[in-house]
Amino acid sequence: MRSISQRAYKFNWENRGFISGDHIHLASSSMPSFPILQRSSEEKILYSDRLTLERQKLTVCPIIDGEEHLRLLNFQHNFITRIQNISNLQRLIFLDLYDNQIEEISGLSTLRSLRVLLLGKNRIKQISNLENLKSLDVLDLHGNQITKIENVSHLCDLRVLNLARNLLSHVDNLNGLDSLTELNLRHNQITFVRDVDNLPCLQRLFLSFNNISTFESVCCLADSSSLSDITFDGNPIAQESWYKHTILQNMMQLRQLDMKRVTEEERRMASVVAKKEEEKKRESHKQSLLKEKKRLTINNVARKWDLQQHRIPNIAPNQDRKVSDSSQDPSQLHGSTVSAFPEETGSLDSGLTNDLQGLSVTDTHLVEVDGDTLSLYGSGALESLDRNWSVQTAGMVTTVSFTFIEFDEIVQVLPKLKIKFPNSLHLKFKETNLVMLQQFNALAQLRRVDQLTIDPQGNPVVNFTLWKYYVLFRLSHFSMQKINGTEVTQNDMIMAERLFGILAHVASSELPQYRMISILGDARKKQFRYLLETKGKKPGLVNEENNDSKRLVGENTNRAMLNYTTRDFYNERLEEIKEKKKFCKMYMEDLVKEATEINMKNEALQKLWPQMFIELVRDAVIEIRNKNSYMKLCLQQITDQN
Amino acid sequence: MLSPDRLALPDYEYLAQRHVLTYMEDAVCQLLENKEDISQYGVARFFTEYFNSVCQGTHILFREFSFIQATPHNRASFLRAFWKCFRTVGKNGDLLTMREYHCLLQLLCPDFPLELTQKAARIVLMDDAMDCLMSFSDFLLAFQIQFYYSEFLESVAAIYQDLLAGKNPNTVIVPTSSSGQHRQRPPLGEASVLEGVEASLFSQCLENLCDRHKYSCPPPALVKEVLSNVQRLTFYGFLVALSKHHGINQALGALPDKGDLMHDPAMDEELERLLAQVPGLVNSAPANPEAGCLPFRTPPRVGSPWRPLHHARKVDAESDGSTEETDESET
Repeated sequence: MRSISQRAYKFNWENRGFISGDHIHLASSSMPSFPILQRSSEEKILYSDRLTLERQKLTVCPIIDGEEHLRLLNFQHNFITRIQNISNLQRLIFLDLYDNQIEEISGLSTLRSLRVLLLGKNRIKQISNLENLKSLDVLDLHGNQITKIENVSHLCDLRVLNLARNLLSHVDNLNGLDSLTELNLRHNQITFVRDVDNLPCLQRLFLSFNNISTFESVCCLADSSSLSDITFDGNPIAQESWYKHTILQNMMQLRQLDMKRVTEEERRMASVVAKKEEEKKRESHKQSLLKEKKRLTINNVARKWDLQQHRIPNIAPNQDRKVSDSSQDPSQLHGSTVSAFPEETGSLDSGLTNDLQGLSVTDTHLVEVDGDTLSLYGSGALESLDRNWSVQTAGMVTTVSFTFIEFDEIVQVLPKLKIKFPNSLHLKFKETNLVMLQQFNALAQLRRVDQLTIDPQGNPVVNFTLWKYYVLFRLSHFSMQKINGTEVTQNDMIMAERLFGILAHVASSELPQYRMISILGDARKKQFRYLLETKGKKPGLVNEENNDSKRLVGENTNRAMLNYTTRDFYNERLEEIKEKKKFCKMYMEDLVKEATEINMKNEALQKLWPQMFIELVRDAVIEIRNKNSYMKLCLQQITDQN
Repeated sequence: MLSPDRLALPDYEYLAQRHVLTYMEDAVCQLLENKEDISQYGVARFFTEYFNSVCQGTHILFREFSFIQATPHNRASFLRAFWKCFRTVGKNGDLLTMREYHCLLQLLCPDFPLELTQKAARIVLMDDAMDCLMSFSDFLLAFQIQFYYSEFLESVAAIYQDLLAGKNPNTVIVPTSSSGQHRQRPPLGEASVLEGVEASLFSQCLENLCDRHKYSCPPPALVKEVLSNVQRLTFYGFLVALSKHHGINQALGALPDKGDLMHDPAMDEELERLLAQVPGLVNSAPANPEAGCLPFRTPPRVGSPWRPLHHARKVDAESDGSTEETDESET
């Protein structure tokens, strides 16, 4: 038989010149419901192998006697409800029951030669009772109520199967149809297709007007090497932006898509787009991997920080732990059990998870530059300020964010920050243990700060009512714009001055000169010491020093008194002073001893003096009582001397 | 200065009473620390400045706690300095927590211990919730007592505990439910267990204490006065009474009377001068008389503190222009 398309196998009886009905006589028989068909003998001889009973208003199949040679039988457009009375027509090759009211496939078990069975537009609910029709070539079941493909695996000669306009919701169970070339599944409710790769000869597959939305649901098509023609129009998938190139890329063997030839250009485009998508996917995979690593590092740092702050009881850490617990709530940490993988990352796909299992997070700090923000996590990150930052990168940084680092440690690197990142205008502090207003004094040494953000988490100083005013007061020379996101108003500045102005006044005017010099001297000494330590002193740098010191003296000398020395330094200094104090004490004691001795002697002298004086006078008077003998004594003394 | 008492004491004791040695030692120590700077302008000048500042009470600014605590004069100077610097906070009406007051203290003395501030807070709050807010004057007066008389107060606390524990049989605490037995009415008329100790007994013990510690306790007469007003009192009740007593405040001499605690005309003038220098205030409109709830005089140059200056003109311009615009659009 020549190749058949959907319409071609509709055997048009009219064209052949057969007249329907005129030569047929339906006589009533002894059985009340079945009419008996009789044909005139001329007809029998003329058209011995074909019989048409189209539009005969038949409600049942009539008994057909004496027509055992019949090969083609047409019952189109009737009202037949059951296939009956044709079991004797064992030579039948072509049976057409299109447009009837048949509810069940039956009565065909003897028609072993049947090749074409047309049962379109009936009321069939199930494919069944086709066991003996092993020669079936075309099976048309369109326009029925079939919900499942079944009982067709034995039809190894079947080439065309039409199941359009049925109630199929999915396609599977297609094994055994080794000759199937065309499968029509239009106008169903199909959401996924399987087993098509088991059809070795399938060339044309029509899936228009179904419910397919992803390529994954029809992915078996990619494995079918015989497919050359496919339609998806009317499916949700056809509306997607990636539809065409995904199909073309996955089905290189296609020649026609949606009844249009696939051009080389289209194929090329498809592969290009597919490559791009692959790249993008890889890129985003890499990004999420990096992000995940960053998150784990930060969690690690956070955990170390919490331990340091004695928020969690100090448990001996499990040395083999590869992935740290992501939970930040201390009450959830349970000893040293290894958490397999935190629940928060449920959204990551499995591929990512596999890659991360191998990550060992031993980092204790993280440094990240993201455009204009430099983020530092963990105290180890402070060392990164020593790195050789490119001028461009460093120049772009306007925001510096510190997290999980003690403020006292940050204070020590502020001079470095000033030099390496001259454009940093916004400082953010989170979990940095800011507890005293005094600590803000340390920020005064920077060149300029526009914005300050102190996150309440880990910075108890924010709980104070007056902290913002103190910051504005102490750092008034910066003319700050924003604190914690709120604009600084003129009122704020005035209030700050009103609250703390007198403090500054007292600090500057009422301190003795030597104290002022010593306090200022300390601060300047520290700055100079650092500047001397930096390598490669350029002439420009020296000028900056001078400008800074000038500015220090000119503006705000009254506030310059308010310094901050970290607790450690302060204690160190007190320790150093102890020696001096001891010495002073001893020195003073010696002085006092001397003084008291002298005093004592003086007092004793005072007491004894009157008596002594009287005795002196008495001795003198007694001596001079006898003038002559006294004169002789004196002269004698003089001559003795010579 | 020429009283015979002065000569009656042996040398060391005399020096100790006046704490002369402390200051001398400290002066020499300061000299040693800053010898490079001081050598520039001479040792004599240094000593002059040093003792001048001791007289004025500015020597304790930004010094370590051990020095500030060393002599009563230092303590009084420190109290005065604290009052001077942060009176404005009190005037502003802000109520602060104990921690914040401690922070302010640390601005003047970096290693000021937290316990002292806590004890002072306990006096104000009567040993109640320690996170409560306190007013400046309450805190300052309580802090004065606690800081200036710390040693005295410790001894008093010990005595109080002894009395409570019933070392003296007279202070057995009797519930007043049985009417025939009660000898004293509880201070607030409550029908519950009597608190505290009997005032007269307490007073006797304190007198003995004062005799022993001649140098750093409140005038005994005033203490007696405080104790004579009540029958029974608790430890913190006693301290609160001490802190609020005018006489003791005056005897200490560091702070002005409670009523005058917010007044300091000299500093207010200074403050006005400073406020005038705040950038942006110079070219502003004259002050509104009703604006500002604070009593200090506003000089005519300074703008109203409560009007946001950069918004003022804009609003006016808009309101002036809008009527014209609507007129035009209607035509």
